[in-house]
Amino acid sequence: MASVTINNVQKAFGDTRIIHDVSVDIADGEFVILVGPSGCGKSTLLRMIAGLETISGGKITIGERMVNNLRARDRNIAMVFQNYALYPHMTVADNMGFALKIKKADPADTAGRVRNAANILGLEKLLERYPRQLSGGQRQRVAMGRAIVRDPQVFLFDEPLSNLDAKLRVQMRGEIKALHQRLGTTTIYVTHDQIEAMTMADKIVVLHDGLVEQIGAPLDLYDKPANLFVAGFIGSPAMNFIAGRIEEGVFRSAGGLILPLPEGARPTDAAGRELVYGIRPEHIRATAQGMPGTVTLLEATGSEIFAKVDCAGEEIACLFRERLPLKQGAQIRIEPDRACAHLFDAKTGRRM
Amino acid sequence: MSSRLLNQIGLFFAALVIVSPAILFFLWMISLSLKFEIDNGAYPPILIPERFAWSNYVKVFEENNFLLYLWNSVLVTGTATVLALLIGVPAGYGIARLKAEKSAVVIMIARMTPGLSYLIPLFLLFQWIGILGTLWPQIIIHLVVTVPIVVWVMIGYFETTPMELEEAANIDGASSWQVFRLVALPIARPGIVVAFILSVIFSWNNFVFGVVLASRETRTLPVAVYNMLSYEQVSWGPLAAAALVVTLPVLVLTMFAQKQIVAGLTAGAVKGG
Repeated sequence: MASVTINNVQKAFGDTRIIHDVSVDIADGEFVILVGPSGCGKSTLLRMIAGLETISGGKITIGERMVNNLRARDRNIAMVFQNYALYPHMTVADNMGFALKIKKADPADTAGRVRNAANILGLEKLLERYPRQLSGGQRQRVAMGRAIVRDPQVFLFDEPLSNLDAKLRVQMRGEIKALHQRLGTTTIYVTHDQIEAMTMADKIVVLHDGLVEQIGAPLDLYDKPANLFVAGFIGSPAMNFIAGRIEEGVFRSAGGLILPLPEGARPTDAAGRELVYGIRPEHIRATAQGMPGTVTLLEATGSEIFAKVDCAGEEIACLFRERLPLKQGAQIRIEPDRACAHLFDAKTGRRM
Repeated sequence: MSSRLLNQIGLFFAALVIVSPAILFFLWMISLSLKFEIDNGAYPPILIPERFAWSNYVKVFEENNFLLYLWNSVLVTGTATVLALLIGVPAGYGIARLKAEKSAVVIMIARMTPGLSYLIPLFLLFQWIGILGTLWPQIIIHLVVTVPIVVWVMIGYFETTPMELEEAANIDGASSWQVFRLVALPIARPGIVVAFILSVIFSWNNFVFGVVLASRETRTLPVAVYNMLSYEQVSWGPLAAAALVVTLPVLVLTMFAQKQIVAGLTAGAVKGG
């Protein structure tokens, strides 16, 4: 086990810069998730930590060692790939023991460690099978087993769940988290799925266009997004953004919609500047005295109702936990929860 | 129902028309090899003779030192193929991984150059080194045929093996050589089989190189068959019998491995195939 330090790391392919300047400190035993939309450089960053891509600038340290010029095979890390990358010509047991065989470890010891890992992952009965004889979830487990057997300093996961169906994904999410709690190995996990990030991580690193947008615990990111990008990326359904400015102690949109200022925001803070008001759908309540609007879309899932409400030309997404007797086209009054509302600078995108 | 039957009959006839040149050619060869000389020249032609001339086959093995030539062919084709695999499989791997398409083209150009343009200089060269009486000149020059085939088949194969597998092996601690030997090579085994078969077929059937480079003792089978044509008048029966005997190993190999050959030639066309 080891800490990982990523210090002002850059990556360029020719003239194209994929990663501009990224610094992340990962403590020993931490579960860190790199999240961002496709093309943000998160997989490239992971591959740089793994040693599969060269580092154009900056420093990566694993434990005490600077690994910039260390080959992948000398870094003592294990990686789980998106498509599992199991060796098709080897049995499950051989797949899991491959790294130890390369190290010329004692075969009896290898067999013991493979059996041990198989026990943890429930693969005991599959050890003699070939990868093609396994289901997607089982392959995923074998790939994790291959990583466990090595007892590496760091686990790297590259979108490991994206090839599984939704139900299995939820199950494997729990298993990976449980595995981390059991082994306590430092883990770096890449995903584009913010729900995976929210549910599994100790710390989330939000990447966008090769830059770190925000680093923090999942709930911090949800409660206090540092900028518009994080605010829009974390949380599902996504946060409502309403452009406008502060006038006479309230927030007024271009279309004339009036919203109460977030708690703690002083009217003098940004009076007159172009602002964006952010409110999550789940932080909007239906009340008797809120702003009036028309329901334009209605989706009831049983546990909640998702609605889009047109208020003075602004389409606002709402998520109601209670069963409201709503109909499409009906009039409704809604009110944002001031404690959970956010204000951002429209120019810089930063949180006020 | 009836239209489906009609469809099938139509398909059958279309297939028959398409394959008939190849099939008739073989049938006629078999017929020739089993007829006496008198029947071979008969008009109207006779397909199935009244008496079979098995003696044609006996003659092939009795008169022409045929077993020596067979052994020569086995040695030349075998050595040229094994050498081609030793050179071509790692070469194909290197070209595929480093995306060195230009070197692949260079190899292809070597293959496309007409054999006669370099046969004479090479003949002089071999004479100068003093290996002309042996099989080595033929083995070496057959590499011009076998190496490009192996390289090109293997490039196609290695390009379809996913990069992640090798990256995983890398992370698991394998050196480049170990990655090749323990991961890339076993996965490419079907490709190696195809390369082997194609290389054997092309080398076995090669005629031009043997005609120029072989002496009486070092003839390969195609040259031996050709010589039957020129020495006696034209005895079609033994000639056809000899040709069939020469073709047989390749024919059997092709039929035996045709599924793999098709798979190997189309590798890369469909990902994950």
